[in-house]
Amino acid sequence: MEIDKIIHEPARLRIMMILAGLEQADFNFLVTTLGLTRGNLNRHMEKLESAGYLKVKRSFKGKVRNTSYQLTREGSKALARYWENLDAIRRSGQP
Amino acid sequence: MNSKQNNKSQDQNAEKLKEIPKWTRKYAQNRTLTSFIVIVITMLIAMVVAVQSYLVVIAFMKGNMILASVCTAVLLAILIFLIIFISKYGGKNRGLIDQRIDQWIYGHEGTASMPEPKLTKKNKWLGFVVAAVVFICIQGSYYLSMEGYIAFKYMQPVSALYLVPFLVLLYFEQRPRVGPLVLICPILYTIHAILIIAGIPIFFTGNWGILNIVLPVFGYTFLAYVIAHVYSRYALKKLKGLTHLEGDTANGD
Repeated sequence: MEIDKIIHEPARLRIMMILAGLEQADFNFLVTTLGLTRGNLNRHMEKLESAGYLKVKRSFKGKVRNTSYQLTREGSKALARYWENLDAIRRSGQP
Repeated sequence: MNSKQNNKSQDQNAEKLKEIPKWTRKYAQNRTLTSFIVIVITMLIAMVVAVQSYLVVIAFMKGNMILASVCTAVLLAILIFLIIFISKYGGKNRGLIDQRIDQWIYGHEGTASMPEPKLTKKNKWLGFVVAAVVFICIQGSYYLSMEGYIAFKYMQPVSALYLVPFLVLLYFEQRPRVGPLVLICPILYTIHAILIIAGIPIFFTGNWGILNIVLPVFGYTFLAYVIAHVYSRYALKKLKGLTHLEGDTANGD
């Protein structure tokens, strides 16, 4: 049983879990909720996006640029699989 | 021993993390102040048009043609303003005003949204029909009260018969964008009706009769939306407690 290393990182796991409860969330919401620096969050989002777990939507709110994120179907599946595997490992008592 | 304690703490941590989507959803569903302000603006516009129309009719009936002309001009100006407003914020720009108000109230927290309810053509038409029926019921029961067929005392309980199912239906139509806390409004409206039937004098008579419906509807909607907003603050606090990363975890990769 293998744990998805992209999701297993604490910040990325939290990002995925936040997006799992929503249709979409913007960059500002994730920054304030996670307490990450903008640069650090950006790096995590790029990793999740390149893994195909996130869909990025860029738009304008008035004159301000806004970036929203949405979990893809693949991302939802990967997250569910991650928890299944982690729970199985915890049950079997593996470190 | 240490390993067992470690495993237990990891298990608890994992279980806590599984609560993140629940609190995120609760937060997003209860960002209700935006909808409330939109409702207030809509009601204020409707009220201004209604009062102005009433003034025009009164002025004509009293034969004061100068006042009638001024009132008609003001009414026309309001209607022109409304047409411009609708052309700017209606059609494909629908939702722009909500977005701006949302940005104004919750901008510093960022945006988190729940899926919009799936609006099929059939649902849309059904919504129009139900809203029209409720509107006719409100007008009808007000007319019947003014004519003396329904005692003012029973105006609110009678209105509860159609307004409570309508508000509950509205909640189911708007799910999952809004949470169950908005149901506080129909629940309080029902309690209000029961209290009146039980003999408690919480009603208006005469020309103030329409307030028997208007005041509870807006009062309880306001209360429900404020409670939901306060709950969203609590949900956000819980969410931050679960997600906030500090130190190396926050800054590492």
